[in-house]
Amino acid sequence: MCGIAGVVFKDKKLHPVGKFMTHMLNALQHRGPDSAGFALYGGLGLKEHEYILNIEVKEKPGLLEEVKNRVDSAFPIKSEEIIPSVENYTIYRCKVALDSFSQLKPLIMDVDKIDDVIVLNGAHSFEMIKDVGLVKDIAVRYKTEEKMGTHAIGHTRFSTESIVDRYHAHPFQTYIIPDITVVHNGQITNYWKIRDPLERKGHIFETNNDTECIVHYIADKLSQDYSLEEALEQSVKDMDGPFSYIVGTPNGVGIAKDQLGLRPGVMAENEEVFAVASEEVALREVMDTSNIEQISPGESRAYTI
Amino acid sequence: MNEFKINAQNNTPREINRSIKQAAKRKNRIVVENPNAMHYLVAGLTDPVEVVIDGSAGYFAATMIHGARVHITGNAGWFPADNMTDGEVIIDGSAGDGVGQGIYGGTVVVRKDVGSRTGEIMKNGTIIVGGNSGFMSGLFMMGGRIIILGDISDDAGESIIRGTIYVGGEIKSLGKNARIEELEDEEREELKEILEKYQFQVDKEKYQNFRKIVPRSARPFYGKETEEG
Repeated sequence: MCGIAGVVFKDKKLHPVGKFMTHMLNALQHRGPDSAGFALYGGLGLKEHEYILNIEVKEKPGLLEEVKNRVDSAFPIKSEEIIPSVENYTIYRCKVALDSFSQLKPLIMDVDKIDDVIVLNGAHSFEMIKDVGLVKDIAVRYKTEEKMGTHAIGHTRFSTESIVDRYHAHPFQTYIIPDITVVHNGQITNYWKIRDPLERKGHIFETNNDTECIVHYIADKLSQDYSLEEALEQSVKDMDGPFSYIVGTPNGVGIAKDQLGLRPGVMAENEEVFAVASEEVALREVMDTSNIEQISPGESRAYTI
Repeated sequence: MNEFKINAQNNTPREINRSIKQAAKRKNRIVVENPNAMHYLVAGLTDPVEVVIDGSAGYFAATMIHGARVHITGNAGWFPADNMTDGEVIIDGSAGDGVGQGIYGGTVVVRKDVGSRTGEIMKNGTIIVGGNSGFMSGLFMMGGRIIILGDISDDAGESIIRGTIYVGGEIKSLGKNARIEELEDEEREELKEILEKYQFQVDKEKYQNFRKIVPRSARPFYGKETEEG
C-alpha cells in the first residue's frame, strides 16, 4: 500500500504547489511511512540546457569534494546547495549547464561510479525531492512548502519488495526523454515482459523496481509521439497486476489504474485545478470534494497545460 | 433531542469510535464534525442510535455495525457498511469500491455513483445506488438485493450465487453465471416502495425499464444442479 497524488493548476501560472503537495502527501501518510517524494514542475526557472543534479553523498572525509570535482571537471558548477539528510548522508544539489540533454545520463553514470555516492536525479523542468522517513520531516528538511510551480506529483511509500532508501523512494525518473516521472501504488506482475523489450531497445535500468519499469515504458511511448493520454491507455492494456500510478511530464499529469481496479484512484476537477490521488482525504487539501470521481478499472485520465 | 457532538479534528479513529460507543449508551443522536474523509469511522457500533458524519468518510465507514443508522453527508471511500448485520447507512455523495461488501442485513443507500464490486459477497440486505455502479458489481453475491438506478458496468453479477441485482439503466456486460430477467409487477411495486422510502424520484416509465440480474445456477462451479440450495 502506497499513497499517490497529483495536481495541476490549469492557468499555467506559478502556485504554491509544494505546499499543496506536502499537505496532500501528509494526508496520505497512513498509506506508507517508509519514504516520500515530490516532483514539483514549473518552478525552477532554469535556462535552456541547465540541469539540477541531486546527489546523495555519504558523510566521509573528502567525498563531497571528490563529487564536486567530478562534476565540475565535466561541466562547470554554476551554483550549489547542501541539504543535510539522515543516516549519515548529505544531499548535494548543484546546477550545471550542458550542451544537450543527451549528456545528462552519461554525467550521472560517471558520478555514480564514486563509491558511497548515488545521483538521485537530474532534471530541467522539475524539482525532485525524495527521502526516507515521514512527509512532515522531509517537508522541513527540504522546505517543500516554499516551492512554487504549475503542477506536481507525489508519493508516500510502503515498501513491498525492494529496499527502503532514497533512490528507491518515488518518484522514479528516466532519461529516455526529459523530465518524465512516475509514482506508483501496486505491483507490475509481468515486469520482465515489459522490461525485456525496453532493454533490447537500449533502456538502462538501475534497479529491479517495477516503478522504474513503468517510467521507462511511459517515456518510451512518449518518445514515439504517443500523447500522455494514449501512453496511459496503452499501458493499462500491456501491464498486469494490481496498480494505480500517476505520471508527471513537463506539461501535465495523468493517472492509470489496473483493469481489475485493485488499487484506488480518485479525481476531482474544477475550472482552476485538476487533482488525482489514492484517496479523497488528499484531494480535499486542494479543492472542494463534493463531486469526486472514482477512477474505474482500466481507466486513465490526464490533464496537460 | 438527546444529541452528542464529536469533533474529529486532531483525533484518531480509535479515539473517535471510543467516544461514539460511549455516547451511544446515553444519547440517541451523535454528530461527528470535521470527519475529513477519515477511515474506520463508526466501526463496530452495535447500539441502535442515529449517527451523522457531517462531511466525507474514508475507508470502511460504518463497518460491522448492528442496528445503528448512519448518515454520511459527503462521500465515502472504499467498503462503506462492510459486513453490516443490521441498520442503515445513507451516503449523500458518491462512494468508492465495495459498497456494502459482505453485508448480512440492513440497507445501504448511496445517492450518487459508486466504484467497483458493489455488494461483493453480500449475504442479505439491500444496497441502493442512485447513480452508476462499476465493474463486477454483485461479485460472488450470495443473497439480498442491489438496486442500481443508473448504469452497471462490465461483468455485472460475476459469479453470483443467490440474490438479485435490479438495474434501471444500461447493463454493459454480464459476468459468469449471471443472466438477465424481466421483472414481475410485484417486484416493481417492491422497488417503488423502497425507493420512495429513501426519497428517490423515479418516473413511472423508469420502473418499466428496470431489469434484473440473477444467477444461472446456484452450483456454477462444482456439484450437480440437483444439489442447488
